Amino acid sequence: MAPSKKKHAKSPACIIPGGFAVLPLQFSSDSTARHSLYVKEHKVRAETSSHRPLDRTLFVLNIPPYCSEEVVKELFSRFGRVDSVELRDHPGSSQESGPKLSEFFRLPGKKGFHVGYIVFKKASSLTAVKSHPHDVPLVVCTEQRPVKTGVQKWIHQYTESFIHPEKLQQIVDSFMENYDKRKEQEAERQKKEAKQQQEEEEGWVKVTRGHKGTKARPHSEAANQKTLKKEMKKKKRKELMNFYTWQHRNTQKEHIAELRKKFEEDKQRIALLRAQRKFKPY
Amino acid sequence: MKKKKQVVTEEPAEMIPSEEENEAPIKAKRSKPDAGGEEEVVYHPVKLSRNDLYRPPTAEELNQLKEAESLFHCSLLKMQMEELLKEVALSERRKQQIDSFVQTVTKLLQTVPDSPEVEVSDLSWLSSAVKVPFLLVPKITKGKFHMAPPASIDLIGSYPLGICTKPHVMVDLAVTIPADVLHPKDVVNQRYPRKRALYLAGLAQHLTSSSEIGTMRYSCLHGNRLRPVLLLTPPDKNSSSFTVRVHACPPPGFFKPSRLHPERNNIRTEWYTGLQTSHSEISEPPTPHYNSSVLGDLLPRAHLQFLSAVSSQCSAFADGVALLKVWLRQRELNQGTGCFNGFLTSMLLAYLLTTHRISNTMTAYQLLRNSLNFLASTDLTVNGISLARDPDSTAPSLAEFHNAFQVVFVDPSGHLNMCADMTACTYKQLQHEASVSMQFWDNPTVDGFHSLLMTPKPMIRTSDHVFQLCELVKLQSSCKKLNLLSELMDHSGNYVHTALPFILTLLQRGLDQRIHLLTHSLSPDPEWSVECEAPKYKAQPPLSFGLLLRPELAASVLERGPPADSPKAAAFRQLWGPRSELRRFQDGAITEAVLWDGESMCQKRLVPKQIITHLLQLHADIPESCVRYVGAMVDDVIKSGSEVPSTGEEESLVVVQSYDDLSRKLWRLEGLPLSVTAVQGAHPALRYTQVFPPQPLKTDYSFFDKEKTCRSLVPKEDKPCPAYITPITVICHMEGSGKWPHDRLAIRHIRAAFHIQLGELLRKHHKYTCRPCPTHLDVWKDGLAFRIQVAYHREPQVLRESVNPDGLLVVRDNEEAQALEMATVHKPLLTSTLHGLQQQHPCFGAVCRLAKRWLGAQLFSDDITEDTADLLVASLFLQPAPFTPPGSPQVGFLRFLHLLSSFDWRNNPLVVNLNNQLTAADYTEIKNSFMASRESLPVMFIATPKDTKLSMWTRRAPSVQMLQRVMTVAAESLKVLEQQLMDGSQLQDVKVAMRPPLEVYDVVIHLNPKQVPLLSQAVDPPAVTFSRGVTTGSATQSGGSLPVIDYNPVSLYLAELREAFGDLALFFCDPYGGTVITVLWKPKAFVPVPFKTSQVSARSVEVTGDEASTVPNVEAVLEDFRTMGKGLVKSVEARTEKWAF
Repeated sequence: MAPSKKKHAKSPACIIPGGFAVLPLQFSSDSTARHSLYVKEHKVRAETSSHRPLDRTLFVLNIPPYCSEEVVKELFSRFGRVDSVELRDHPGSSQESGPKLSEFFRLPGKKGFHVGYIVFKKASSLTAVKSHPHDVPLVVCTEQRPVKTGVQKWIHQYTESFIHPEKLQQIVDSFMENYDKRKEQEAERQKKEAKQQQEEEEGWVKVTRGHKGTKARPHSEAANQKTLKKEMKKKKRKELMNFYTWQHRNTQKEHIAELRKKFEEDKQRIALLRAQRKFKPY
Repeated sequence: MKKKKQVVTEEPAEMIPSEEENEAPIKAKRSKPDAGGEEEVVYHPVKLSRNDLYRPPTAEELNQLKEAESLFHCSLLKMQMEELLKEVALSERRKQQIDSFVQTVTKLLQTVPDSPEVEVSDLSWLSSAVKVPFLLVPKITKGKFHMAPPASIDLIGSYPLGICTKPHVMVDLAVTIPADVLHPKDVVNQRYPRKRALYLAGLAQHLTSSSEIGTMRYSCLHGNRLRPVLLLTPPDKNSSSFTVRVHACPPPGFFKPSRLHPERNNIRTEWYTGLQTSHSEISEPPTPHYNSSVLGDLLPRAHLQFLSAVSSQCSAFADGVALLKVWLRQRELNQGTGCFNGFLTSMLLAYLLTTHRISNTMTAYQLLRNSLNFLASTDLTVNGISLARDPDSTAPSLAEFHNAFQVVFVDPSGHLNMCADMTACTYKQLQHEASVSMQFWDNPTVDGFHSLLMTPKPMIRTSDHVFQLCELVKLQSSCKKLNLLSELMDHSGNYVHTALPFILTLLQRGLDQRIHLLTHSLSPDPEWSVECEAPKYKAQPPLSFGLLLRPELAASVLERGPPADSPKAAAFRQLWGPRSELRRFQDGAITEAVLWDGESMCQKRLVPKQIITHLLQLHADIPESCVRYVGAMVDDVIKSGSEVPSTGEEESLVVVQSYDDLSRKLWRLEGLPLSVTAVQGAHPALRYTQVFPPQPLKTDYSFFDKEKTCRSLVPKEDKPCPAYITPITVICHMEGSGKWPHDRLAIRHIRAAFHIQLGELLRKHHKYTCRPCPTHLDVWKDGLAFRIQVAYHREPQVLRESVNPDGLLVVRDNEEAQALEMATVHKPLLTSTLHGLQQQHPCFGAVCRLAKRWLGAQLFSDDITEDTADLLVASLFLQPAPFTPPGSPQVGFLRFLHLLSSFDWRNNPLVVNLNNQLTAADYTEIKNSFMASRESLPVMFIATPKDTKLSMWTRRAPSVQMLQRVMTVAAESLKVLEQQLMDGSQLQDVKVAMRPPLEVYDVVIHLNPKQVPLLSQAVDPPAVTFSRGVTTGSATQSGGSLPVIDYNPVSLYLAELREAFGDLALFFCDPYGGTVITVLWKPKAFVPVPFKTSQVSARSVEVTGDEASTVPNVEAVLEDFRTMGKGLVKSVEARTEKWAF
């Protein structure tokens, strides 16, 4: 990755073992040092989600912290139209589950180096990327496309963090509405399932504990453990501890053993302290 | 490009070179056994085989086990004592060395040649290489003197008794001056002491020619210039291992003890002053101190006999004395003038044995306990004790002794007061120490052995305030002012010891109720070479005095005296002089009173200083310039600059009051769907421990941009960073109800709804400017920013619950839940508990602030977090053994440094018994569970009543290496600080302890001071200041635009750096106005690793054959430092000399 300035206009792309192509990247045109992006077509055995189509998705490693999704999109549009960009902390399958959250309610992600999944419009863009010469760097911040960092960025961030209470209230309301709807649907589904079960058993009604209307409690780990403990206690209560002479003798023996053990422990503690010269008073 | 680091091969614990080698390092947890050969000592649970445990016990073993269980708290203490005694006892080899050296010296001394008789004042017979160890004032004395071989040479003192202990092994050798050199009337007018000194000089002259003697120096016994001694060391390399002290004595019974009665005079005024006076012998003032010093020379052999008779009966006598000596030495009470020396220790034990207060069969530990108990309960300044069984008729009575001396302990002969030089203050100190020690022994939660016998108690760390008298020459004029001529004569011109008791009484009277105890340093025995003249009295180090303050009274600015017409008023006026004035009080009384200056707490704390300087000036003629007061020297670093200097107590109070008001208003809000169940503060400012408490501010609108939608201010890019406004966190618990959803996202949204509603209500009813966010609600009130967080008590539980594929509800702990619980449960609890502690100990907050200021300045803020630091300081107040709780910020801070540097984190948990909730049984349990799972627990383990198993405050940090570093730096800082504080001759700058060494770091990022909002809090505040958009003047109560809250570019930058490069390097910064960020590469950072998709951040690939490995792309990383902090970073300084490319 020697930053040799100008060699040939057309030098071959650099491919390293593992199949990654190296793309140099620098912050601005007058930067002296470069990062290297490692890119490869996205290939996994069982990609289930539809938004990372195997033939058109580029997998990018080592994206510096100052490149947001928009910046990456801009950067890579020189190789063809970009459909979407997804930046993540670690490589892995997407796990977008649950309802869509407003950006104000999402937990803040890490601001370190990212991996990216770039989906192009056309599959041909992938080859274009991979054959990009390794000594022509991508430039993040240009005059046409300034990227804010440092104080500018923080002030921008601070300004952006404001949200009008009414708007916030709206977001909350719409989410809760959705939530209630989902809850209702869920309840309905459960009811339906229960009904179905009842019907399946052809006229047999399952009898459960508790009066009518209360559902059987959902299983929980804590409840299981509690029951187990109760059993143990019961068993223990029934035992007699001080009945036979040998039991007496045993407790005495145990006492002496306890004293001995403590003595040995103390001896060891002392030995340890002595080894650390802890007894020199001054 | 190849980048390699030199330190890569070193092991992690040595990442940072330690400055002090003799530092006892905690063993690094993960360190492999290193090449140094020091083997790893770790505690493993004992495993005894079944056979060992259950074999039938022998009678002897049973006895031993029972004894260990019943006599001592546990067998551990017994073994600890034994180990300690082994450490201080003399080895056989050493004894042989001593014996042979004593023999040579004896032989040499016996061959002293005779010399012709001369006048005492004629010194021509002495060679110029040897001087007389005596200050010859007045010069002329009558009498004849000649040298002659000694009549006898005997070992006396502790060595022949076998109670001599390390270190500073002293072997006393008594050389008897032959009777024909002396005359029975030599007692008068210092003739005998001078002859004694001449005789010593003669011996020294004889010994100089011998090659069998190493160094020869003079000293004097317990600082008494009338009793010089000759110190001899063996010539070889182990010369420092022991010293032989040669005393010259008169033949036994040479002087009549009755002549040396404390009421007799033996120094004539006429001779001493050189003036003709009309005093007859009867009306001459008594000279008790002079008499007892002569008497002391007569009796050593008798004492030796007495002690050996007593000690032979009690088998543990020697061990008991050794333990007591260790105890005294740790308290600096065993050396110097008027100390409680080893001789007194053995005499005390002998007294207890002969009066049957202890029995002959007791163990050493019992002897120690009983003697401490005796000391604590007996006041020798009032009820002296005597060892004399049947004193002869000429012996003085105890009452006569009390008249002449402050402390009375009479020897077996009945004539000598062995505590003649001791001041009442020293004895009171001894008594105080003994009673405090007894309390700690009896407290099962205190490690008595460690705190009482192993912890040193230097004055600067023991006393709340310390001051020094620098120019001791000035005491001469005090003697004159106090009219002490006869006392001066009695002390043979030693004006320091003459004036000291009077100054002490004066101060005691003046400080009266403000202090528990007044202590003073014991002037060390002077030592000088035989070729030099005896040093002058002023040549000793400055006298230090320590005050143990009564916190509730010490800072009062008013000294209320008796009513004007009462007979006591005259005495009051006499004491305070012109400062005393008549005042009329609100209750109608008209009394004498003195009013001292002091507005803020930090000024009031120095009221004792005003009193001391005033009294010394008024009564003892000691100018203020001679008094060096070291009560509050360190406090400067937390002083905030306003008209009245303040260390933050007043500002904290303003914050707390404003918070109380807010909390009341929150409680009273109506129209919320659920009621408020609790409002709790969760910010250091609300427990008085914020280093720089937030101050009410008024914003200058023209300095900012405006945000239209929310009526808020926004920083401008071209202006300096606006003043930082700390959001003060307040947790507001909402009532639990079935209406709360059972889903994490839904709870998050409901909380946001609460924030909006709270904000709306506060705006409507109280006109506060509010800014609701999903996570919190910012309220601008009284020029302070409060950040209210709504909490729902079941939320952590909801976060922990999940349904596994089988439909089973499982509860799994996770980080998110822990963080939430920390913020909403533990932090508020800690805040309220520590707030309570502040109410009990008024200087708790200030100590915390100093401690955290130090941690910040040394760049450790991220490792020892605020809460951890507060807990550490709390432990100093809750478990002060062997001290008393700190009574001034400075002493608390010094003890904090000592705790940090000396606590054995590897083997011990630090138990902070907040609210006194833990019992002794809990302590054992904590200790046991700690021992059982030491490896998996945090390196720094702090247990509190609510958290006995996990130490949640230190779970994240510090790491082993950082703790190690903190310990070394703390030890170094403590050393430097104590030197600075106790040594007035050095250049005074206590801030040296607050300036971190930057050499150890690999990269230093310099910040643009313009963008550092807390610049003015820096240890060395810069000369230039920037306008930061705040105006002085009282803050408006409510309304107006919302200012810029919690915007600090430095911390934002730091967070980004840590997120981006956290696995490559460590970043350090002083949060209080630091203008540098220092970077340390992690030791393993530069090791090439194979190419992995999860490990390529900021790395470049090197291909060798088919293998691709990655190393950090340092150039790009350094460039990123600049890019990411654009506008904030001034320069990035890579110290490439430390790590090669």
